[in-house]
Amino acid sequence: MPPFIQLDKEQVATSTPECQAGVLVVRRHHLLVRCSHWLNMPILLGLILSGLSIYWASPIYRHKPDPRTGNFDPLADVGMWMCAHVPGLHQYSSPPDWVYNHISLGPGMLAVALRLHWLCAYLFILNGLVFVVGLGLGGGWRSLLPRQTDLRDALKMFRYYLGLPLAKLARRTWPHPRFNTKYNALQRVAYFSVPVAGLLSVFTGWSIHKPMQLHWLAAIFGGYDKARIWHFWLMWVFVLFVVPHVILVLADGWDTLRSMIVGWSTRAGRSEGF
Amino acid sequence: MNLEDEHSAPAADKTSSAESVSPPRPASFFQERPPAVMEVAPQLLRRWTRRDVLLFGMGAIAAAAGGGVLLPQSTLERLGVIHEKKNWPKKEWLLNGALRIDDDVAEALYSRNRLVPTYTKSQITPLKNNYNGATPDPSYIPEWRLTLEGLASGLSVSLNIRNLLASFQLHEQITRLVCVEGWSGIAWWAGLRFDDLLNAYRPMSQAKWARLESSVNLGPWGNPDPYFVSLDLSTARHPQTLLATHLNGKPLRVEHGAPLRLLVPVKLGLKNIKAITRITYTGDEPADYWAKRGYSRYDGI
Repeated sequence: MPPFIQLDKEQVATSTPECQAGVLVVRRHHLLVRCSHWLNMPILLGLILSGLSIYWASPIYRHKPDPRTGNFDPLADVGMWMCAHVPGLHQYSSPPDWVYNHISLGPGMLAVALRLHWLCAYLFILNGLVFVVGLGLGGGWRSLLPRQTDLRDALKMFRYYLGLPLAKLARRTWPHPRFNTKYNALQRVAYFSVPVAGLLSVFTGWSIHKPMQLHWLAAIFGGYDKARIWHFWLMWVFVLFVVPHVILVLADGWDTLRSMIVGWSTRAGRSEGF
Repeated sequence: MNLEDEHSAPAADKTSSAESVSPPRPASFFQERPPAVMEVAPQLLRRWTRRDVLLFGMGAIAAAAGGGVLLPQSTLERLGVIHEKKNWPKKEWLLNGALRIDDDVAEALYSRNRLVPTYTKSQITPLKNNYNGATPDPSYIPEWRLTLEGLASGLSVSLNIRNLLASFQLHEQITRLVCVEGWSGIAWWAGLRFDDLLNAYRPMSQAKWARLESSVNLGPWGNPDPYFVSLDLSTARHPQTLLATHLNGKPLRVEHGAPLRLLVPVKLGLKNIKAITRITYTGDEPADYWAKRGYSRYDGI
């Protein structure tokens, strides 16, 4: 995709012999923003899968060892509980590993998980730089900055989403709150917070990766052990963002999804996209 | 989807953004600009869409295939993607490359003058016996000797613990030991500085590395399993790199590597070899127990 060229109207018109009415399109995402957006998918998946394999080696949350099994890891408890109670899992060969076998590379794979985690982490940092450059070149950063009215407007949007399914059921109109900005306040909070979470993940990651040379960085997060807890929960920020993000994009329709691929939207007149 | 018609923008809005010749000047540098609107023929839009969806789709397939190949063999087998042993030579090359870059970054971050944080006695935490495999029988301790090789003198030196304690000053420090697995422990150590040993028994001039070895280490079933680590001499000369003889004010016990272990807080715990029996100085990087098993070799933290 070449950079979005502001085509001359005459030039476009000559390529349409019947002089069809043109479609109004509005530029939404810079090429570099689109690339880094999609690259985040495999990179974050690799980071989470390998990260949980690293977590397995020394869980940050643990209870007193069970006298019968010797287990201290709540995630292993979840696996054992599932294999005992969920139909179809009773025959599972290694219940304590169920969770790790399904949301990580697997248990007992620390060396390979570390190598994959470093590779993905460096790619994640590079990808973050691509995103920042894209935001700068396309001017998209201005649309992400928080506003004073964000809190009130975010509540309005929240109310809209909560009421929408009920309004549909009752066949009542449920107007979308109006904003004359690229994103609504709720989106802006999310799209601003997620890059911040990415930045914090990188910083907490470095502070637990190099806790001696970068001990000042670990100190910002409350020391080495607390930085590990930060790093773990920052992963959940991504997971908890991605789920509603995907649902809302799919609900909003093709134009919104397409705009993250092609860069433009045909919703020139309205600004409430996802 | 009737979302679309519910809030088709007011006509006034549309005309203003599409046709206004000079959009209103933004109030500040940080203020969001009105979007650039342009008119494009529908066929052209379809062509752009087709091209970009194809390009991004191919990129996605390439990323999924490339990323999938990078996953470990056993994960792919468990997922049912592959059923027999597959070898992608480039995969190891790529993953080892990432490991090597990370080691280079660690080496660049390291400074002999940067001290690691020290703690107070109230911050000391329990330190578990993390012997790799079985804990050796303490019967080796009375006979224990440290052999130094690769010295400038060309000789091989053998020392016992009384020689070491008599000829070197002991230094105390309360520092954190960080395991590659993620857990850590703060402990009160005492020992001689590795730097002092290097000054007393000079390594040969071309030496850049030390190979530290313990012949008494055992495997998980009590089988002999000598442990060995590589240590760059720059790290060995760090003022907080000790050849520790004491833990919590008492001589080391067998589970912590009596009578002499390495304490190098700027490295991962796995470099902190217990019950050292031999130190060999070399010009080339020596082998490392865990590097052979897929971990990094520099391990600077």
